[in-house]
Amino acid sequence: MWRFFAGRGAQYLLVLGLTVTLNFALPRMMPGSPMIFLAGEDVGFLEPQQRAQLYALYGLDQPQWRQFLTYLGNLARGELGYSFQRGRPIAAMIGEHLPYTLLLVGLALVLATLLGAALGALAAWRRGGPFDLGTLGVAMLFESVPSFWLGMILIAVFAAGLKWFPIFGAVTAGAALSGWPMVVDRARHLALPLATLTLITIPGTYLIMRYSMLAVLGEQYIATARAKGLAERVVLRRHAVRNALLPVATVFMLNLGFVASGATVTETVFSYPGIGRLLYEAVLNRDYPVLQGTFFIITVSVIAANILADLAYPFIDPRVRRR
Amino acid sequence: MRKWALIGLVAAALVAATTVPVSGQTGSLRMAIPQNEGALNPYTYVTGLGWNLMTLVYEPLFTPDADNIPRPWLVRRYTTSRDGKTWSFTLHPNLKWHDGRPFTADDVKFTYEYVRRNTHSRWTPQVRNIESIETAGPTALTIKLTTASSGFLAQPLADLPILPRHIWESVTEPRRFNNVVGSGPYQIAEIKEGQFYRLVANDGYFGGRPKVRELVLPIIRNDSVAFTALKAAEIDTYVRPVSPELVAEFEKASGIKLARGAGYVSTILQFNLEHPLLREVKLRQAIANAINTRLMVRLLLLGYGVVGSPGYIHPDSPFYNPEVTFTANKAKAVQLLNEAGYVDRDRDGIRDAPDGTPLRFTLLTLAGNPIRVRGADLIRTWLRDVGIDARVLVQEDASIIAQVWPDFDVCKGRKFDMAVFGWSAPVMNRTTNLRDLFHSDCRFGTINIGGYRNSVVDQLGTDLAATVDVAKQKKILFDLQKVIAMDVPIHVLFYQDGIYAYRADKHTAWVYQKGQGIVNKLSFVDPPKP
Repeated sequence: MWRFFAGRGAQYLLVLGLTVTLNFALPRMMPGSPMIFLAGEDVGFLEPQQRAQLYALYGLDQPQWRQFLTYLGNLARGELGYSFQRGRPIAAMIGEHLPYTLLLVGLALVLATLLGAALGALAAWRRGGPFDLGTLGVAMLFESVPSFWLGMILIAVFAAGLKWFPIFGAVTAGAALSGWPMVVDRARHLALPLATLTLITIPGTYLIMRYSMLAVLGEQYIATARAKGLAERVVLRRHAVRNALLPVATVFMLNLGFVASGATVTETVFSYPGIGRLLYEAVLNRDYPVLQGTFFIITVSVIAANILADLAYPFIDPRVRRR
Repeated sequence: MRKWALIGLVAAALVAATTVPVSGQTGSLRMAIPQNEGALNPYTYVTGLGWNLMTLVYEPLFTPDADNIPRPWLVRRYTTSRDGKTWSFTLHPNLKWHDGRPFTADDVKFTYEYVRRNTHSRWTPQVRNIESIETAGPTALTIKLTTASSGFLAQPLADLPILPRHIWESVTEPRRFNNVVGSGPYQIAEIKEGQFYRLVANDGYFGGRPKVRELVLPIIRNDSVAFTALKAAEIDTYVRPVSPELVAEFEKASGIKLARGAGYVSTILQFNLEHPLLREVKLRQAIANAINTRLMVRLLLLGYGVVGSPGYIHPDSPFYNPEVTFTANKAKAVQLLNEAGYVDRDRDGIRDAPDGTPLRFTLLTLAGNPIRVRGADLIRTWLRDVGIDARVLVQEDASIIAQVWPDFDVCKGRKFDMAVFGWSAPVMNRTTNLRDLFHSDCRFGTINIGGYRNSVVDQLGTDLAATVDVAKQKKILFDLQKVIAMDVPIHVLFYQDGIYAYRADKHTAWVYQKGQGIVNKLSFVDPPKP
């Protein structure tokens, strides 16, 4: 048992080390320099020594290996550094964007898993019936719809058209709200991005659940349960669904790790201030420290989710425990 | 199961039905912006648009008027010595910072010296030419220049915003300093990173009450969402121009008005003049003749634009030389190519240079800009018609810069053939624009990204930079336009008109600044009485 955990621990450390290195290397391998974002629009008018001064200010005049050591040292001290472009501490920027992403993507994942599993189970239970074929068709449709397009449609219908929800943002800009009105305001702003993300996430879970359920329904123990004269509902819930949920749980665990990475496209369409959007802008701006910082947080959360999955699996699937 | 479904439905209906009052104050204007602008102070704002917003909070001594001519603002009177090297100013009395401290000539001196020490790409080059600054009491100061300079009034006087000395004097890392105490007609009340800015009117402003009491600037990352929000009255205006295909729709929309005017943003075909083939002027002239810029304006801009002038200067600019004209002519293109010996030697449909090199080029263009992408495709088609092969490469901004303008430093050379490129409106407004664009010394031709060399242009450019008299500047610029039009170091395709949409019920006192648009200080506050 301990040897198992020590082995896993070493594995995770190795993964962490590799990704930390990649986080440093990848942004620098992109073509283009961060100079304009350090200096602003009129960078062309600077004299060479002023450019050099700017590079030195950000440590970019140092050789790559020294920049890498500085980066590692800072990371070890929990120091994510300052954004090139915004001049603010990256920890604070991530701190502002992360809650929105956790709320949006986390909630969408939970909702999509619950709905997808329920719909998938019912569809398999009534295989070939109108519910099965109907949901299958709809699932295929949403599986292939680009989230950008879906978001625009939801905006056109429910925000611009029916005016049920606001068109953009996470809060009403400039409105000083507190208490319930604030909660309601945030919920209204969350509704459409959440719907977009949930709708495009459901089909994955739905399809997995449906196939897993079909496999389970063919098992001997289902026939046995029925032969014992159990009510159909009991067979469905206690014998079929519980066993069919295993692959769904696995996928859920995997997705959990990526919650922190945000949903760039959905966040862009709705101007939702999440991590995905922060990351995308950092890529465009060649804001190396922000890229490193957000990738680091994402890496850590993916690894954390994997550890969680490793720990949780024996409880979900007793067969793993026995092995 | 059913119970939960019901509760869910009720909750959804509740959430949907409760309308939250949108900050309902009269005089509150919601003006959406496309991206973050840092703390909106002089060292953290990001874009050219951000400069316009930032100068509502931090003010330069002068301010460009609707025709882009710098007018005294914080300055009440000023005199210039005969040789153009000594400038004396008297400030308005009773100028105040937002924290109540008096604004004095000492702050001005401090700022001009501060930007010299703390590199800022915009202002450090502007103050290079200053020899000394002397104050005489709280409202008087004199600036001495090393050499007379044509652009001094526009930059830095009407460009560099003054910083409060008592706050900035101990700041050594200005890019990480997010203080927002300025002296302008608006104060920053709230910044939500990545979400919105809120500015409130400074009612103690020396120039009188600002026109709008509160400015809320939400960040909307996508143009079409922003225009949807404008139509749905969730915002009152969006700072970016309306794209041509939306104009007709907005003209019909109720409650929405359009402000339209000349746009100084240029779209050009940039040649690499160090390319062994493209350094030949006949080839460049032929390429220019093959491109139907009139049709481009009709197809790409739906007519909302002006065909490019061969001398770069926009026809609405006071410095435009109307004698310099150009009309594309495909037969002329073919004739030029034949004359210069560019014929198809190997019968592959592509002409070859006398030494046998085929006329094959890459044409870079920006992925995020559909008009430029379609423009590049038109150019490809038209060049193909005359036997020139242009392969369009659509890439993102940083990649294009890395090839066309590595490190934004012309001295570092270039690695491209041709690019559909463009310059922002401020480039048109710079007094020394044609020197900056075409001087062969990369210290002066700071945006001569094609590596153009012409000693006549160099001499005219040097003269221009040292000429203070406007009539003489004009004469030099006229000559420069003539030479450029002959030599075609760039081929100006078009200037897109600025068309801005706003809701007429909230704010109508918009001022269209020539070539630039409606988001400028004059839309929010009247010039102070002298």
